[in-house]
Amino acid sequence: MPKKYDITIGLTGNPNVGKSTLFNTLTGSKQHVGNWPGKTVEKKTGNFKFHDNTIQIVDLPGAYSLTAYTEEETVTSDFILQEKPNVVVQVIDAQNFTRNLFVTVQLIELSAPLILAINMADLARSEGFSFDLKELSKLLGLPVIEINAKTGDNINKLNEAVIKKSFSKKSSIIKLTYGTEIDDELTKLNTFISKKEKISKQEIHWLSLKLLEGDYRADQELNKKPYYLELKKTVQKSIEHLELIFGKDINSILTSTRYGFINGLCKTVVKKENIKNNRILSNSFDNIAMHKIWGIPLFLFTTWLLFQITFKVSKPLMGLIETFFSWLGEHLTQILTSWGASNWTISLFTEGIIGGVGGVLIFIPIIGILFLLIALLEDSGYMARVAYIMDKFMHKIGLHGKAFIPLILGFGCNVPGIMATRTLETKKDRLLTMLINPFMSCGARLPVYALFTGAFFSAYQGWIIFSLYLLGIIVAIIMGLIFKKFLSQKLSSPFVIELPPYRLPSIKGLLIHAWERIWLFIKKAGTIILVFSVIIWALASLPMGVEYGSETSWAGSLGKVVTPVFKPLGFGNWQSSVALIFGFVAKEVVVGTFGTLYGIEDAENNITSLHHALQQDFTPLSSYAFMVFVLLYVPCMAVLAVIKRETNSWKWMFFVAIYTTTIAWLVSFIIYQGGRLLGLE
Amino acid sequence: MTLDKFKQGDKVKIKSLKCGQNFKKRLMELGLFDGSEIEITKNDNFGPLIIKIFDSKIALGRGEAQKIYAQKI
Repeated sequence: MPKKYDITIGLTGNPNVGKSTLFNTLTGSKQHVGNWPGKTVEKKTGNFKFHDNTIQIVDLPGAYSLTAYTEEETVTSDFILQEKPNVVVQVIDAQNFTRNLFVTVQLIELSAPLILAINMADLARSEGFSFDLKELSKLLGLPVIEINAKTGDNINKLNEAVIKKSFSKKSSIIKLTYGTEIDDELTKLNTFISKKEKISKQEIHWLSLKLLEGDYRADQELNKKPYYLELKKTVQKSIEHLELIFGKDINSILTSTRYGFINGLCKTVVKKENIKNNRILSNSFDNIAMHKIWGIPLFLFTTWLLFQITFKVSKPLMGLIETFFSWLGEHLTQILTSWGASNWTISLFTEGIIGGVGGVLIFIPIIGILFLLIALLEDSGYMARVAYIMDKFMHKIGLHGKAFIPLILGFGCNVPGIMATRTLETKKDRLLTMLINPFMSCGARLPVYALFTGAFFSAYQGWIIFSLYLLGIIVAIIMGLIFKKFLSQKLSSPFVIELPPYRLPSIKGLLIHAWERIWLFIKKAGTIILVFSVIIWALASLPMGVEYGSETSWAGSLGKVVTPVFKPLGFGNWQSSVALIFGFVAKEVVVGTFGTLYGIEDAENNITSLHHALQQDFTPLSSYAFMVFVLLYVPCMAVLAVIKRETNSWKWMFFVAIYTTTIAWLVSFIIYQGGRLLGLE
Repeated sequence: MTLDKFKQGDKVKIKSLKCGQNFKKRLMELGLFDGSEIEITKNDNFGPLIIKIFDSKIALGRGEAQKIYAQKI
């Protein structure tokens, strides 16, 4: 069987070193995103051609070390050990050689076929660093190439090194020494294992080292062997011996030895001269971004600006898509009529499909621009600062700053938000973060807001939508405080997060990210929303002979059963009841349902006609209450499914479905009735 | 003295880490272990601290900082 790829590269490195940027530069849009088998860690692969070789590249998760501590870290070492890539490329941030080389050392211990790609060297030089990469290459016995991941400078040189490396049989000749004491103990273990196992010298060495470190994978690999107890005893003796000599625990010994080696290396390779502080700007921005008083207002202002820009920029683009769909509807009607199609067929295509799917697709610009801007904040390094300023705030609801990140991800989609709670260490933290995550207003709810604010608050769209996001956060905080009373009070998992230097993100990376989101949205519109548009159209057309979308249709009867529940909230029309019921499938369906039910009678301008139809049934106040209800009520079924999976309990899933809907009803009630008392209607 | 007691701008040498094994490992990977030298970049006396390890800024929860002993250099 011919091999699918000539060469496989594993791409690794610390977080925030430009690993993803390099990945995007190498592969362009030829990427595939999935999960590592049996893990929640995302697996990204891509491929490209270089000199007649098809090269597959696997983006390994960013990690600070290879010791099994988090899921991310096991993924990297498992991949290198089991899948044996031809080459492993480690991206190194030249501004922080020392810390980056810590992973390098461990990769060498693993005897990975390693190439170092030195990124952001120009930035480091402008700060007064200088380095001798030739010397580094000689000392470590492996290729070292300076690249610029963003501009693609020297990428060909890197590729050539990759090809050369993958065809040479030679592995790195360097063997790290840990000092006589440790080396003696390692030799003892090596001899022991080599007597029992027929594996390569390097593998034995790595195993011995991991046994000393107490790595649980190494332990698991061996604990079924007949000699396990004897080996364990030998390991224990070595550890005790070393701990006695050094007067500290074994992990500290190994870490300081490794860092000792690295420091020696850096002394010869990296020169730090009259540091020009180019980080003055970055530092002074940090003084405001993380200021004890101004930090949070600045974050709020940034979010507000985000929405303002999103709506200002997307408006004209949405107009174009709108015109396209009205044109499509009009022409489709003409063509179908000329073919002699029945009124039913015409209605299915224009009112059902174009009304439903088209009504949702209009919002592509909003989704694209919003995600582009969120990615900009993330990649620039600001999000980590937000985790910092939110930490003391999050403490009040019994969480810490790191839990804020799953919540922010929830603004995109609650499903990855809930999955990201796996980075939190304790069960209680995870559960609490999951319970409040659905209140983070996801991208799917945005089309609903955009539709209603367009019809009722067109001058203040950004403000109104910002207020909804804020309301979601406030409700989440209040619920967090309440849950904290019931779940244990103790704050457990530790908070530590790196604050990467501010950087201008690569435009290509941002565009790829936004495109991924848009594509997901289009796929959803083409599948689930299409199906439900047809179902809702059928309900609105049946029984036979009924006027389309009238109260006597099945959709009307279904809506009217539920209407009394919503009447006190200001939206007692049956169309919104139907929309809310089907919104459980996916929140965009709410928009699709309105599109289908109100039909597009005058094909001239479909969304404006939808606006007119909504203005008949809603007042500004009741439309706001409706948006609040959509924000807070039962999350879509994908979210419930992921809650069931992550908590492994039906009980929590049903709990979330019921409590969110109750809260939604109460809050909408207060807003609508309160607003009426204040004479806002 | 524990880490949370130092002032902004202090350069300190780590003496010992009195926290759980897993967290200790995490800190060591970042370059914080006994014997390493770090700088306190920001300490507001509430909320997390910001420290500089090698050339990177790390935010560290106050509760965690209270378990790390260090000496001014």
